[in-house]
Amino acid sequence: MAFRLWKKAIIMTLRERKMFVVFTGIYTILIFLTSFFIETTLSGGGGGLATYFIVIFFITSLILSLLYAWILVARNRRTWATLKAIGWTNGNINSLVTGIILYTTLMGFIIVIEVLFHYAAIMTYLQSVKLLTGYPIILISLLPVVLTFAIFLFVQIIAIFVANRKVLKVRPMLALKRVGE
Amino acid sequence: MIEAMDVNKEYRRAGAIIRALIDINLTIKSGEFVIIQGPTGCGKSTLLNVLSGLDLPDSGKVIFDGENIARAKEDRLSKIRRQKVGFIFQDFNLIKTLTAIENVESLLWPTVLRDREIENRAIAALRDVNMLERKDHFPAEMSGGEKQRVALARAIVGKPRVVFGDEVSGNLDPESEKDVMELLKQINNDYETTMIIVTHRESVAKYGDTIVRMDKGRIV
Repeated sequence: MAFRLWKKAIIMTLRERKMFVVFTGIYTILIFLTSFFIETTLSGGGGGLATYFIVIFFITSLILSLLYAWILVARNRRTWATLKAIGWTNGNINSLVTGIILYTTLMGFIIVIEVLFHYAAIMTYLQSVKLLTGYPIILISLLPVVLTFAIFLFVQIIAIFVANRKVLKVRPMLALKRVGE
Repeated sequence: MIEAMDVNKEYRRAGAIIRALIDINLTIKSGEFVIIQGPTGCGKSTLLNVLSGLDLPDSGKVIFDGENIARAKEDRLSKIRRQKVGFIFQDFNLIKTLTAIENVESLLWPTVLRDREIENRAIAALRDVNMLERKDHFPAEMSGGEKQRVALARAIVGKPRVVFGDEVSGNLDPESEKDVMELLKQINNDYETTMIIVTHRESVAKYGDTIVRMDKGRIV
């Protein structure tokens, strides 16, 4: 049953096009930059500055994830109230909300991995044909991406927790109120 | 089917206590078409909330299908609403990112039914309300009357014992109101579904077997 609700969450996320594109885009950039600075730190470059940037991106992703969760629940309060009125439990709605939040983040990761593959391929080609000489090339390896994934997953768990708490507070009676009341 | 016994409900608003329901006693039989009528603020929507398990009374009993729901836990009330109750709202409350058929199916998503069964039931419900040809349309592409018919399909897709409607024709023109009310009457006749409709409109009253008139929190 939860699997079905996650599938529906994906459909609903994709149809909320504007919000999906904006947040997936921001997540993609944040994930890319976090991976990049983790790679720099692990390879011993950048000094303390790289660690400083990792902390900044972690805090930014946390704030953005909380904002996304807050917007998601607040903008759709009437929907959650209606679903509760027609018999959905808090757990059912939380499954849907969890699916929406996780899918948006996961799409950011898939885009980053796709971009990194192309980036690595292009850089390797340019180096092999000696078109790119004299420039330091930083290729992001798998470990920083996995570490970034773990960080973002942790952040999303906090966001899901906050969203679930907000969903609990939505009363089904709200569904009966007139729009704008 | 539903029995309210000495039901009272109060609200606090801006520091004042509002007695929304005062000593309500009401019996609704299975298959009955009940219209609850009264002026704005008379307590009719509160009565609908309490009878349907959306809200709990401060005192008294609400016996729904043999079970006192006045003290039931939220999860139990959710289950009762999903299995035995259908809702129609004045503002339709369709989910804008879902098509007509998905809106109807949404009631059954958190159940153990298979996808195929859910789809078949939704198609049957949409056929009942003459909206099958619009099944892939989004709410934004439908008129008020069409949205309310889809909402009605969602209300009946779970084969409920009771359908509650709150000002179901409040946002409809007279012609759409007639269509929707006749559909409700037809479903009431065909499936013996109990209908409890709250309205302030006199034109809706003629569809009811029983008219409950309310004023200042009391049945008059």
